Amino acid sequence: MDWDKVVQLLVSGLTLGSVYALVALGFSMVYGILKLLNLAHGDVLMVGAFIGWGVISWLGGAQDPNVAVWLLIVLMLLAAMVGCGFLGVAIERFAYRPLRRAPRIAPLISALGVSFFLQNSVLLLFGANFRSYDTFDLVDVEVGISLGPLNVWIIRIVVIGSAFAMMAGLWLLVTRSKLGKAMRATAFDREAAAMMGIDVDKVIVKTFFIGSALAGAAGVLVGLVFGSINHFMGFSYGLKGFTAAVVGGIGSIPGAMFGGLFIGLSEALSVGYIEDFTRGRLGSAFSDLVVFLILIVFMLVRPQGIFGKPEVKKV
Amino acid sequence: MRKGLIAASLGLLAAAVVVTSALARTEASATPAQLAACTNVSLGFLGPLTGPAAFLGQEQISWLRFGAQKYNKANKTRFKVLAGDTQLKAPVARTVARRLVSNRGVMAVIGGSESQAVRVSGNLFEKAGLASISGSATAIDLTKGRPYTSFFRVVPNDGIQGPDIFNYVAGQLGAKNVVVIDSQDDYSVPLANAVARGLRGKNVTVARESVSADDTDFSSIVANVGNSVNVVVFATQVAAAANTLSNQLREQGKKALVFGTDGAYSPSQFKPRNGYVSVFAPDLHFDKQARGIVREYNRYSKNKSFGSFGPATYMAGWVAMTNITKACQDGTATRAEVTRLTRTTNIPSIIGGNVRFDRKGDLRGGGAFTIYKITNGAYSPVN
Repeated sequence: MDWDKVVQLLVSGLTLGSVYALVALGFSMVYGILKLLNLAHGDVLMVGAFIGWGVISWLGGAQDPNVAVWLLIVLMLLAAMVGCGFLGVAIERFAYRPLRRAPRIAPLISALGVSFFLQNSVLLLFGANFRSYDTFDLVDVEVGISLGPLNVWIIRIVVIGSAFAMMAGLWLLVTRSKLGKAMRATAFDREAAAMMGIDVDKVIVKTFFIGSALAGAAGVLVGLVFGSINHFMGFSYGLKGFTAAVVGGIGSIPGAMFGGLFIGLSEALSVGYIEDFTRGRLGSAFSDLVVFLILIVFMLVRPQGIFGKPEVKKV
Repeated sequence: MRKGLIAASLGLLAAAVVVTSALARTEASATPAQLAACTNVSLGFLGPLTGPAAFLGQEQISWLRFGAQKYNKANKTRFKVLAGDTQLKAPVARTVARRLVSNRGVMAVIGGSESQAVRVSGNLFEKAGLASISGSATAIDLTKGRPYTSFFRVVPNDGIQGPDIFNYVAGQLGAKNVVVIDSQDDYSVPLANAVARGLRGKNVTVARESVSADDTDFSSIVANVGNSVNVVVFATQVAAAANTLSNQLREQGKKALVFGTDGAYSPSQFKPRNGYVSVFAPDLHFDKQARGIVREYNRYSKNKSFGSFGPATYMAGWVAMTNITKACQDGTATRAEVTRLTRTTNIPSIIGGNVRFDRKGDLRGGGAFTIYKITNGAYSPVN
């Protein structure tokens, strides 16, 4: 067993997984409350990445930033989270709320429309050029942890750390706060929650704000750790985040976190070992095959996901 | 009254004779389209102006426009450049190619810049009799068996790049263990296969990997690169991707250096601490004889940075303009005439030697690739 390889693949998988988990959380929260697949969620991540790029460019660029690196990263995250939070609220207000009583296919199509709208808006505003965060100029890749086979760049640590901090924060919010209780009540039974005096509309708006803010943060983290962003990046992250949400159990917050990490690690390990397992028949190019095979297997064997509960319908 | 009618009839007859003879003269000399061809001429450009390889297309069109301005000034012509953006996507390239074909003012196309764009547009241009001259499409099969009779290129092909790379990696760098990565497109897969095959022929241990052209994270691929690997050859058209790969190798403490193929040549985007890149045309910054044109271009572009893509496309444009001018000497020109004249081109090139095409549309004699060593982001030629 090549432990150097295993360790590095785990680090790589953890990085991808923490981004997928943040995206999956947004999917899960919205689905939990509205039973809506917000297919535009990946594109909210993309908008967040562009907001982060705007901040880094505005503050002098990666080579010569006007502020300390830590402050720059905090500002990028804050701007993206606030911007995407409000974007999520606007999407809910104009694209989903008018369709709340419509058949379930209507908001799904509306979500697709929002996705294309966001992609094309960014294309119009920024062009199709890949934009670079130039993070390698911001912090040298050799700065970080180096312990035996483990070599981790400080930016990667920041990315994994902040993703976990945000997940923990969300967990506390949902389980310990009044808003969290209202969110859980709304997810459990919207009508009953309204009868108990909960302002369901407000809860939905806040859910969209939080889910979209997490996607915005994920966009900045992607830009920071991988360097470049583009207007169609949301599709891939959205799809993997959705897969993570389904595998973890859509509607379940711990499920989304677990699903994200599971998919990220599966993707990284399949890049590393698919060739060995298939005796050279398949190469690293087929890692996505493994990810979506996992999705298909879960849909067939355990459609409610790992943490989900089977839906019981009264007859 | 009768006299008046006779006079009017004679007048009408005379007018009819004048108009008919004038029309007949026009018919005999040129069609309106042919006349337009020499008074309102455009060079179509087919390349990635946006998307992951925008750096390459932007440099090319800037040099093409510079060339058109310089040529117009020297020859009192009025060539214009009509931009067509492929976004590095084959279906988009085909749509743009159709638009260029349908524009009667376009007498030659400069591009496609990328091999896949040539592959999807070649037969359209061929049917329209339109010459397409590329300054960067290097895939071997674009000319092998002459699939597109109106396609030409002013740069050598990958039949030369592949051997240049594996000979250098195995010989000069003395690599014993190499990873070769393609980016799953028409350009990189055959090139990566050729390099891998050549290296194996020299008893070098080779592992093959593959990434998507849109990928921005290579850390899992890098984890597959063993500590005994000396060189990672990356066939890509995205210079930023080569830069990320190189940084992620360093992040994981791997000693292997990245050897980028011509698509990665970009001093502003691919700037590893240690690395190599091969390219089909020499970078004029290192050529003393090219100081004049570099100065002129810097003045024109207000010191826009450039590498090897621009000057080669400038030459492709120059070839097209020279042949259109020749075709227009009698006041008329057709696309077929321009294509025919392009076959017999023989003009000095700013990137070395003369541009002369063989029967397949390749440079006569094949040409040569230049290899650059990169140290802390600074490029220097090694051959």
